[in-house]
Amino acid sequence: MIRLAAVLIGASLIVVMACGGGAGGPAEPGGITSPAPSGVITFGSISLNPTHEHEVFRPFVSHVVSRLGGVGIGRGRIVVVDSISKMVEELKNGRVDVYIDSPFPVAFVGKRADIDLLLRRWKRGSDTYRSVVFARADSGVESVADLTGKMIAFGEPFSTSGFLMPKAALASTGLRLDNYEDAAASVPPDRVGYLFSNDAENTLFWVLKSKVDAGAVNEDYFKGLAGSRISELKILLTTKGVPRNLVCVRQSLDPLVTDALRKTLLGMDKDEEGAAVLKGFEETSKFDLLLGGPEQQLAGIMGLMQYIEEDLGQ
Amino acid sequence: MRIGLRGRFIAFVSAIVIAFGVVLTALAVRVQNDRLRHELDERGKLLTTVVANHATDALALLDVSQLRQVIDDTLGQENVLGAVIFDEDGRVFTDGSVENPSRHQLIDEAARQHVAVSDALLVEFSGDVMTVTKAVYLGDRLLGGVRLSYSRAGLAEDQAMLARKTALVGAVFAVLGVLAAALLTEAVTRPLKEVIAATRAVSEGKSVPALQVRTADEIGELAAAFNEMTRRLQETTVSRDYLDRVLETMGECLVVTRRNGTIARANNAACALAGATEEELVGRHCSDLFRAPEGYTSLLHALNPDGSAQGLETELLTNTGEEIPVLVSIAAMDESPEGRRGYVIVAADISERLRVERQREEFVTMIHHEVRTPLTAVRGAIGLLDGGVAGDLGETGRELVANALRNSKRMERLVNDILVSRKLDFGHMSFHLQEVELMPVVEQAIEATSAYGDEHEIRFDLDETAPGARVQVDPDRLIQVLTNVLSNAVRFSAAGDVVKVGVTRISGLCRVAVADSGPGIPEKFRDQVFEPFARADEANWRNRSGTGLGMSISKAIIEELGGTISFDTEVGVGTTFHIDIPDSE
Repeated sequence: MIRLAAVLIGASLIVVMACGGGAGGPAEPGGITSPAPSGVITFGSISLNPTHEHEVFRPFVSHVVSRLGGVGIGRGRIVVVDSISKMVEELKNGRVDVYIDSPFPVAFVGKRADIDLLLRRWKRGSDTYRSVVFARADSGVESVADLTGKMIAFGEPFSTSGFLMPKAALASTGLRLDNYEDAAASVPPDRVGYLFSNDAENTLFWVLKSKVDAGAVNEDYFKGLAGSRISELKILLTTKGVPRNLVCVRQSLDPLVTDALRKTLLGMDKDEEGAAVLKGFEETSKFDLLLGGPEQQLAGIMGLMQYIEEDLGQ
Repeated sequence: MRIGLRGRFIAFVSAIVIAFGVVLTALAVRVQNDRLRHELDERGKLLTTVVANHATDALALLDVSQLRQVIDDTLGQENVLGAVIFDEDGRVFTDGSVENPSRHQLIDEAARQHVAVSDALLVEFSGDVMTVTKAVYLGDRLLGGVRLSYSRAGLAEDQAMLARKTALVGAVFAVLGVLAAALLTEAVTRPLKEVIAATRAVSEGKSVPALQVRTADEIGELAAAFNEMTRRLQETTVSRDYLDRVLETMGECLVVTRRNGTIARANNAACALAGATEEELVGRHCSDLFRAPEGYTSLLHALNPDGSAQGLETELLTNTGEEIPVLVSIAAMDESPEGRRGYVIVAADISERLRVERQREEFVTMIHHEVRTPLTAVRGAIGLLDGGVAGDLGETGRELVANALRNSKRMERLVNDILVSRKLDFGHMSFHLQEVELMPVVEQAIEATSAYGDEHEIRFDLDETAPGARVQVDPDRLIQVLTNVLSNAVRFSAAGDVVKVGVTRISGLCRVAVADSGPGIPEKFRDQVFEPFARADEANWRNRSGTGLGMSISKAIIEELGGTISFDTEVGVGTTFHIDIPDSE
């Protein structure tokens, strides 16, 4: 069991939306319940755009629910919260049954709520992803060590590949990073200043235009973003690969439901309808089992958590 | 196929209206198309400017995600085909998509050069695409720019739709135009039809009520003119009938000929006198009806240069061969471009007048032969008796003979005066004009009358003379007048009175004045002094009058000599006669 302290990230915002057919109350938290045809399964997500998030999840949840009738599930719900800490609360209170997110938030939640890692999620044909830290080739920055006293741009504060992973990687090398609001701020020579560009494209152009000294983006995006100007850039660091997304469930969820859910998700890419639903679900390629078990999957991540836990808790 | 005025008018007005509508429609379509194109272009330019303004902050902050949102929003605008935001080097930041395939691409060279030096809009056209490029400056620092492709393809559709709508309006306009033309034509032709119907009625001799003049335009004028025409036609018809009645009832013969003298019309009087009907006379030449006046070869040859002739005495030849004396007057009718239209011949039957004249002449002849000649013989015989040829007749016998002699002389004067008067009336008196000195003539007249004055104890006093005055007169006739006036003065003078005679020259005239101291001429008789056989009723006048012909004879003779005779009189004071004769000098 992984327990993580509850962390509030943003303003209180919980949006609950139902999808699928059938009636029935939510699955009882704490304890095994018999599957009922009118049972409800609840998917949780963290986003500042609950409407968009609901639209993304709805076809997926409907499809999954339609496959869970055998275990008493007749209806699906989607709960969107605006912070990791709220998600922790939802899981602890049994109001969310299934939570899908990138490894660092999942690891953070796992340390504070009773969840089980269930499956790995592939996106855009990739099961893992990495981040790259780059600078202009002509900037004189030859390695991450040269970033002291300089400013680096990350993506969004919640982004694993755009922020959490590269920050943790840089911190793990012994660099001390401080957050700034202004790219032109003066950074002490023993520190690396960072700020959020909130967009990978912003990060790229800020580096190209020398607004910042370096930037970090998902490795998958980097080549596409750099395009014909890739020769103007130099990669300083590539992080280790981490699973793109993880599916976790509340530990108290009916094992039959959990098992049925696992089987449903694993088989979705096998049929045309399921593959189409996955395609619409943020270009999900498939779900697969966690090779080596959850501990192995999170081993690297947990080692880096110390560098970003503070960020996740903000 | 015959197309009436109505059809032609409708076709004409419709053609004008439709042509006007077509031209108007074409112009409207053109103007609207220009306006649409202008509006579309202006919209594209405005949108580019707005996008550039919205992108300024994001460009300054290098917030590409914000720029992407701006472009994404822009692509949602109507007719926008594509849009990019580029940096100061002309490299694309974003085309609005996450994939952003245009990223880092350089925009068109011309556009790059333009934004490098100007923040004005660069507008380029290629087919139905308008591309607008706008530089974005922050102060004087070039941040980059916006390049927007705008479709004008919708313009053609809008124009086609506009053309259809305008054509529909034009068609409605044309239909309304035809209807208006039909109504207008009806308004125009209805009065014309009324005029036509009325004209036919007039031609058929029917009574036509006056047409209504509904409008003040040409149609109204036509109706008014028609009414005036019918009114005048009626008046002309009435006048012609009236004239016909006048001509047919007039006593004189009236014959109208054409230019060549052929009779065109003859009135009842002419027909009656000729003993023929008008149909028999019409077509004959006027020479067949009227004999040529004396001295002419035909009646029309007696015309003056102006085509008229008055007082021609000739004969009208009747159908029975009788010749009726007529007094003819001829007048040429109005001149026409071809010459005179003809002649109007008015002939009066003067048979009765000639008969009376002939009777008068016979009377004069009878007086002359049957009265004057025996009277002369009687007066001669009485004169012989008075001269004692038959011995002493005794006192009683002498008184009777003297009385007979006096009355025979009086009768002889009366007969002579009557004969002279008749001669003057018929113009048979001959005058032997010659220029003579006036005074001897006057003195001779006084001398001739002095015995008669002595007889009445009246003396003549020639108190004023005009020596050398000459006049063109017949001396004998002038002496006749003067002795008549002098003896007249003697008769109205009392015994012992003096008759004053004066000769003066006044303004080209020679005046002989004879003044008596008699009773004067009564007021009511003054107008009759020169009338034949005029006598005043007053007693003292009846005893003093002569034959009653003297003054009328004197007036006729003086007027024949070119002079005048007049008088001044005052009752109880006397009378002065003035004989004025033109002075030869």
